[in-house]
Amino acid sequence: MSHRWGMAVDLDRCTGCGACVIACQAENNVPTVGEQAAQKNRLMHWIRIERYYESEFPNPRVKFRPVLCQQCDNAPCEPVCPTYASYHTSEGLNGQVYNRCIGTRYCGNACPYTVRTFNFFNPVWDKPLQLQLNPDVSVRPVGVMEKCTFCVQRIKASEIQASAENRELREGEPTPACVESCGPRALVFGDLSDPDSEVSRLARSPRGSMLLGELGTKPKITYLPRESSDGQNR
Amino acid sequence: MDGGPDNRMERRDFLKFGILTGATATLTACEKPAQQLVRFVPEEDFVPGVASWKPSLCTLCPAGCGVVARIMDGEAEVVRNGQRGTLQMGLAKKLEGNPKHPVNRGKLCARGQAGLQVTYHPDRVRSPLKRSGPRGSGDFQEIGWPEALSEVVAKLEELRSHNRPDSIRFLTGYLRGQSGVLINKFLASLGAGPALQFAPLDEPVLRRANLVSFGRAALPSFDFERSGYVVSFGADFLGTWNSPVSQSIGYGEMRRGRPGNRGKFVQVEQRMSQTGANADEWVPLPPGTEGLLALSLAHVIVKEGLRPGQPATAQSREALEKLGNETYSPREVANRTGIPASRIERLAREMAAQPPAVALIGGAPLAHTNGLFNAVAVNLLNLVLGSIGLPGGMFFAPRVSTMQETVSPNENSDFVSQLLAGRLEQTEVLFLHQANPVFSTPPLWQVPQTLKRIPFLVSFSSFIDETSVLADVILPDHSSLESWLDDVPESGSSEAVLTLAAPAMRPLHDTRAMPDVLLEIAKNLGGSVSEALPWKTFAEMLESSYRQLVEAERCDQSEGFDKLWKKVVDQGGWWDGKCHVPPLEATALSFRAPEFVAATFDGNEQEFPFYFQPYVSQAFLDGSVAHLPWMQELPDALSSVTWGSWLEVNPQTADQLQIRQGDLIQVRSRHGTLDVAAILNPGIAFDVVAMPMGQGHEQFGRYATQRGANPMNVVAPIQVEQVGALAWAATRVSLAKIGKQVPLCVAAGALNEKEKDLR
Amino acid sequence: MVKTADEIQRDLLRPVIQTPRRAIPAMVGLALLVLVGFSAWMYQVYTGIGVAGINRPVFWGFYITNFVFWIGISHAGTLISAILRLSNANWRRPITRCAEVITVFALLIGAMFPLIHLGRPWLAFWLAPYPNQRGLWPNYRSPLLWDFFAINTYLIGSLIFLMLPIIPDCALLRDNLSGWRSKFYAVLCLGWRGTQKQWRQLEAAMHIMAILIIPVAVSVHSIVSWDFAMTPVPMWHSTIFAPYFVVGAIFSGIAALIIAMVFLRSSLHLEEYLNAHCFDNLGQLLLVMSLLWLYFIFAERLTTWYGNSKSEIDVLWLTVRGPYRHLFWVMVFCNFVIPFPLLAIKKLRTITGTFLASVMVVIGMWIERYLIIVPSLSRKFLPYAWGTYRPTWVEITITGATFCTMALLYLLFSKLVPVVSVWELKAGLRE
Repeated sequence: MSHRWGMAVDLDRCTGCGACVIACQAENNVPTVGEQAAQKNRLMHWIRIERYYESEFPNPRVKFRPVLCQQCDNAPCEPVCPTYASYHTSEGLNGQVYNRCIGTRYCGNACPYTVRTFNFFNPVWDKPLQLQLNPDVSVRPVGVMEKCTFCVQRIKASEIQASAENRELREGEPTPACVESCGPRALVFGDLSDPDSEVSRLARSPRGSMLLGELGTKPKITYLPRESSDGQNR
Repeated sequence: MDGGPDNRMERRDFLKFGILTGATATLTACEKPAQQLVRFVPEEDFVPGVASWKPSLCTLCPAGCGVVARIMDGEAEVVRNGQRGTLQMGLAKKLEGNPKHPVNRGKLCARGQAGLQVTYHPDRVRSPLKRSGPRGSGDFQEIGWPEALSEVVAKLEELRSHNRPDSIRFLTGYLRGQSGVLINKFLASLGAGPALQFAPLDEPVLRRANLVSFGRAALPSFDFERSGYVVSFGADFLGTWNSPVSQSIGYGEMRRGRPGNRGKFVQVEQRMSQTGANADEWVPLPPGTEGLLALSLAHVIVKEGLRPGQPATAQSREALEKLGNETYSPREVANRTGIPASRIERLAREMAAQPPAVALIGGAPLAHTNGLFNAVAVNLLNLVLGSIGLPGGMFFAPRVSTMQETVSPNENSDFVSQLLAGRLEQTEVLFLHQANPVFSTPPLWQVPQTLKRIPFLVSFSSFIDETSVLADVILPDHSSLESWLDDVPESGSSEAVLTLAAPAMRPLHDTRAMPDVLLEIAKNLGGSVSEALPWKTFAEMLESSYRQLVEAERCDQSEGFDKLWKKVVDQGGWWDGKCHVPPLEATALSFRAPEFVAATFDGNEQEFPFYFQPYVSQAFLDGSVAHLPWMQELPDALSSVTWGSWLEVNPQTADQLQIRQGDLIQVRSRHGTLDVAAILNPGIAFDVVAMPMGQGHEQFGRYATQRGANPMNVVAPIQVEQVGALAWAATRVSLAKIGKQVPLCVAAGALNEKEKDLR
Repeated sequence: MVKTADEIQRDLLRPVIQTPRRAIPAMVGLALLVLVGFSAWMYQVYTGIGVAGINRPVFWGFYITNFVFWIGISHAGTLISAILRLSNANWRRPITRCAEVITVFALLIGAMFPLIHLGRPWLAFWLAPYPNQRGLWPNYRSPLLWDFFAINTYLIGSLIFLMLPIIPDCALLRDNLSGWRSKFYAVLCLGWRGTQKQWRQLEAAMHIMAILIIPVAVSVHSIVSWDFAMTPVPMWHSTIFAPYFVVGAIFSGIAALIIAMVFLRSSLHLEEYLNAHCFDNLGQLLLVMSLLWLYFIFAERLTTWYGNSKSEIDVLWLTVRGPYRHLFWVMVFCNFVIPFPLLAIKKLRTITGTFLASVMVVIGMWIERYLIIVPSLSRKFLPYAWGTYRPTWVEITITGATFCTMALLYLLFSKLVPVVSVWELKAGLRE
């Protein structure tokens, strides 16, 4: 059975704690860029928690929104890459082939969610921090674009394991790093082609909507907004 | 790994290969000794390229979450027997929450994830150090363990022989589990007093309040999953307070785990915290009046007869009668808090109408001078709400009676109390372990000066920080992934939990586990000391403690202790429901009638117009994780700042003072000044300024040193009344523009989404 | 004063045969500056593209501005030359070669910028479709690939268009010089004998090229504009971009041509050839383009403002009341407010007048490219991800060096080949 990976983000559960950001960084060898680069807006986190103030003191309201690659079915980043480094996989993911990227950064511009990050320099890990690097994920050199892959290495590992054991994938398998660490279980990952999976159920929720869906990118992440206590969506 | 014959063959072959490689490498090394590192024989079995998951414990905050570490083989530069070389070893690549651990149930917070960087930190102390320059200069020379230990042993022998055991003291962060037992046994065998504790994240005010209200000086736990109404007075329970992961799990279920019922969450604070940002209703009020609001809410519920059932004891009934007093009526309280009486009444009625309702308190309200009053007031509110010990309410995590609990310090074991009472002046030897009081106390308490007067300081720290830099000898501890660890988490679980972890990794550097070092010192001292601590290793002590536990609890040992022990080690702890000890019932609650205490603040309003609120921050906590690069680069949830410090100022206030984002501001209190960049925060009160704790280290590795500012430099050295903890939210300050701009690293490109960003 | 054919030949060949005294230090000076720029580029390749000021979300900055700018400059040359040849306008004769050579050099410089801005420039050859053992081909759907083909096609076409009319003049030089120089031009002129048949062939080839080069030129800058328009970025995703860019390109190209001609005129003493009449005509063309440019910019901004789409208004606001408003008004002044009176009023449309107007236009058009690229990228759809851009010394140095490169190339060219076409002027005498 071919899978179609998707995610649901329940903003009523998300508390803005940032565990997903660091879990992803640890799992995917995302470099720490340092203070100079941070000043220049060159952070490389594959998932970020957007924070918006909707009103000011004495009645401030804040909303948090985790934003990661939406793995769009109509991804604007795919047609524009001249070397096919950005392409669509058979399981619906937007794949990024690091070796093929020559660093035009066109995809970074085309992405309306600004989720693609770029290696402006060769990443540096002060020894022995490099011992932490995940051997299942390549380390990207200077000039290469990168972004969330839905932890494709975990997806592949689960698929291989399942096929070796001659069975189907179970619910909750595979789990990307961000989903695994999220305490309130705001992030849900699964197979959209399975109508009974939790992610499919949440994708069908009347609360659900796509981020920037009006652009026609056909993202695979359904956002469920926070409700106010009187049942209205805020 | 335990496979058929094929696996065994592989392993044998592998070891052969390893030895062969080692031998070859050694031979090759003989040719070019300077260039090639020795290749050591692997010390453990593993299948190359296949990961194994080993349980461990996160020690970065008091919650005590269980973790599992993904171990994969890799080549590391290590030190063995004083020699540098490379070793193919199991390396921790990723931490996840231990799915079986009842506290965090497979989830892990941002700091827990970053804990991986502690083991591999470039600035870890890699071998014992001996001070070679003046105290605090940071000049150390590397020495071997025998020399280091013999120095310490000699010093202790000397003091023993002079019969001055009271001159030996041990400063630690927490005294938890068997390592806490070991420390105190060690001290007792020397005739020394109990260990001193300094843990800024500990919540002594809350413990005292709980002692007053419930007879237990313990931290509370909450069953948010089933709550109908949560009101938090300043507690950052979804971020950094108490047991944040466990609380976050419960919060998520409260919101979306019960279709049609998402509960209501009210946060009461002056500065919108990451937790407060999730509230359905956010209630600001002047600092120090939180307890008053709590009692007013309780007043309304009592007066209108909304509370369920009668309280148990006469004292409680008397307390409740006092509540009906006009002092706590919404009208009176409205004057003091600025919250309209109608709002207080509405909130109270809502709370009572949406059970189970629970109240909690943490953060700044406990750090005012009237923190104890505020906490007892909230306890009383919980009594009134009637959810103590019940589903959806507040409870105390069940304990295992025979296992060492977390010892909460009393006057004799609280480091700050002893310091301020001058009890450290006679100290000759001070052991320093997992505490950095030089950084986390106001300079006026003169902690560094006091420490410098102690003739011999021994630190177990893995890093050179403001406190360990003063040490004479550093005996670096293993990181948590390299150690045998045990823990008794105090909150966050509805079943009794004992965490136990075998080392997930071999040591990288020439470090030794602190408990093992104590045991070795004890052995060297001989006599009554070594008799009191008969174990060769800490692992041995742990196993024997579990034997005792299993005996005392009459656990099922039909399959033998070894099987049980293996199960405990494999799963990372013991939470077997069979040996469950029931939690304290809420039947014997006795409540003293609260005496109203107003908060006082250091500094007069004219000269120091702003309340100063440092806060335990998401990235640095109290400063103890500021050295981790992932944490420095994590954008703060609300300010989105990285790699720096910031002062949160209300935008209207900033307009009045002509302060723009990034302006360098001098913050001045009666006791000190600091310079920090301003950031505009629409979620903070007009007369409050806030900044994160944890930056401004003078020493703490390359990522944290000389970065930002330490709010302790302006905090007034006042203590919470009757408790003795630092009242870090009781300072008033003034602001002055220095006239410089600081290039703040702000990750957010805009404050809001809908309107044009005009700033 | 009408000159004789011999006088023409002597005047125009003089700069080639004799080197003006000031030329050598000028060339050395320019070459040094170019070397500085080149070193900055090598430093960037060695250290990493991060030494430039680009970041997330503004992934393109100075380099792409320069790319669009120089490709734009390249339009006027060949386009003007081709159109004027086809329409047989006599006043074209002195300026065709100046124009054609601007195109070639501007293209060469412009085409370098995609290399300069790449994160991994050593792999740029993957843009070329060559058979390889991995079976990988470039992505033809990408506008950058269209750029690759279009610019290369235009470059080859412009080179042919430039080289063809040079052949008779090379023959002239072969005949008028001696020694190794004569041999050099003998090779370049491809054995030109000046026979009737050869003249007919040459004119036919030039005619074909003139026709072919026009659609190529139009397509090149349309394709460059589609680098932007084919993305959903606010204020990039606009159907007006293709004609808007072509108009802007011709506009800036004519201005560059005028500037080049003014310098050639004074340094090579070609006052009688590049005379007021040429400048008057070019000035009128520039005026027309200025009006066209104003029309396009007005139409685009009116539509955006009226449409009131949130993300587009966020970007528009940046150039109206936000941090880019100063640059915007400088651009309008440079592109329209100052050139308009200088070009519209006959009395002011002198050589000096057109020169001033052209300088303004070149500056204004560079700013226009910058304002197209940077504000849109700095404010895309999700405000948390908004950012700013600030160029670094590397980008500024390389930008400056490319202007010096243009000047240097032009100077070298004028040393090698007469910048005003001798045979065409002589042919013009007959008419």
